[in-house]
Amino acid sequence: MTHAIEIKNLTHYYSKGTVQQVAAIDNVSLTIEKGELVGIIGHTGSGKSTLISHFNGLLKPDSGQVLVDGVDIHKDKETLRNTRFKVGLCFQYPEYQLFEETVFKDIAFGPKNMKLSDNEVKERVMKAAAFAGVKGEHLNKSPFDLSGGEKRRAAIAGVLAMEPQIVIFDEPAAGLDPKGRKDLVELIANYRRQTGSTVIIVSHSMEDIASMADRVIVMNNASVAMQGTVDEVYSRGDELRSMGLNVPEITEIFSRLRARGIDVPANIYTVADGVEAIKNLTSGRCSE
Amino acid sequence: MIREITIGQYYPGKSWLHKLDPRMKLILTLAVIVVIFICKNFFSLGVIALTAVLAAAVSKVPAKMILKSLKPIVIILVFTAVLNIFYTAGGDVYFEWWKIQITEKGVNTAIFTMVRIVSLVVISSLLTYTTTPTMLTDGLERILSPLKVFKIKVHTLAMMMTLALRFIPTLIEEIDRIMNAQKARGADLETGSIIQRAKALIPIFIPLMVSSFRRAYELAFAMTCRCYTGGDGRTRMKQMKLALRDFAALAAVVVITGGIIVLNHFFEAVL
Repeated sequence: MTHAIEIKNLTHYYSKGTVQQVAAIDNVSLTIEKGELVGIIGHTGSGKSTLISHFNGLLKPDSGQVLVDGVDIHKDKETLRNTRFKVGLCFQYPEYQLFEETVFKDIAFGPKNMKLSDNEVKERVMKAAAFAGVKGEHLNKSPFDLSGGEKRRAAIAGVLAMEPQIVIFDEPAAGLDPKGRKDLVELIANYRRQTGSTVIIVSHSMEDIASMADRVIVMNNASVAMQGTVDEVYSRGDELRSMGLNVPEITEIFSRLRARGIDVPANIYTVADGVEAIKNLTSGRCSE
Repeated sequence: MIREITIGQYYPGKSWLHKLDPRMKLILTLAVIVVIFICKNFFSLGVIALTAVLAAAVSKVPAKMILKSLKPIVIILVFTAVLNIFYTAGGDVYFEWWKIQITEKGVNTAIFTMVRIVSLVVISSLLTYTTTPTMLTDGLERILSPLKVFKIKVHTLAMMMTLALRFIPTLIEEIDRIMNAQKARGADLETGSIIQRAKALIPIFIPLMVSSFRRAYELAFAMTCRCYTGGDGRTRMKQMKLALRDFAALAAVVVITGGIIVLNHFFEAVL
């Protein structure tokens, strides 16, 4: 079976050919399997955003290859164009890309670029709006009249409407309140459950990643520093800290509890897991 | 990539030219530009060309950078040279074929105009190479401050210029971001007729306008919160003071101008 995305020895420079030339991505190789939910973490400037811009061919590698479904996306213009629809990329603060008169038209921008029939465009817009939680009555409003959270949903719908096999979210919850964050995590999980698409999430939030990802890739200094399951990566707290990252607060609390001799598991990465662990502990005591 | 375009071409340095007071630099550059146009013969123009070369040497801006500033005008140079060679008649005839005639006067005029344009560009780009955009607008504000008499808000104008310059890199970054976001939705910016391409700019232009207004409001709020009320009674962190070198530069320009007037008088004019 081919991989959803395969990156081979990818290198990308910024300010190439000048004194300030720096490798934004330095000889990175990795694969992303079909149907997987991969979290990419790394502190600012580690190369995450540059990396994902290669996944749909917005950036061209200075050396190395990007294969989507086993095909080099820079093979020819046609392949590159189709890759844009196959790999949906939802940038940070996607609401800043809204431009149409109505939310409906804005969501339809992607499908229209795919040259679909009017009926099909309409169908996709309705479907994507439902996935992203855009309210029906908002579809005929100007996107600029919506609230911040609603704009974000409309913009996300604009990407989902292309029905990409792979969706990439760059900091999807940036700037949202805790409720908005939670809703968004649910939205993504729900979308993935129903469509079975491959999802890649780039985030600073170790907790959001922990609650969703099958696999975590840690970027540091333009290369992949670690990858593995949430357990494998998050158990290496000291290394993460040395890269300017932090384990989730809840993990920190549990490791301090353990340090005090309280018998709780070490692999707690989300608040929900934490609650379970505490419940187990107390119920054990009660039965004594 | 768009983000590699540099706006304003300040070349950091500590040379004598960098340290000149921006007001003096502005006025002297303007004076030299005027003088370039009163040059009438090769001797006076030679003095100007020499001045330009010397100033470039003093500024320690690499020759490569200065040549780069000449790149955009290559076409203009070639065009004017060709026109002058073929359309100016007079003096010895060097070459003649059918209706085409190349004369001494034609060649002289062509060289004269080229040297004149090159000096002009070198001198004016030295100003921007050695002065930061902020210094320039500050200097301009001070030079124009007498206009306050006519109720012209010089400070406001200068502040607007500074802010505009400040936001150019930000907006370039923004355009880059919006372009990527729309390309990710399959926007086609590279192919199609002119009308199609113009239409393809709408998805970029509208978000850019929206975010520019948003930024403008945010900035206005931030400035108001820090009690900005305009130029009245505002003091400066960096006081501009004319130093000895400024007067030395002024003296040099005066001497050069005098010399050129004398040379103009004693030798035959080219044009």
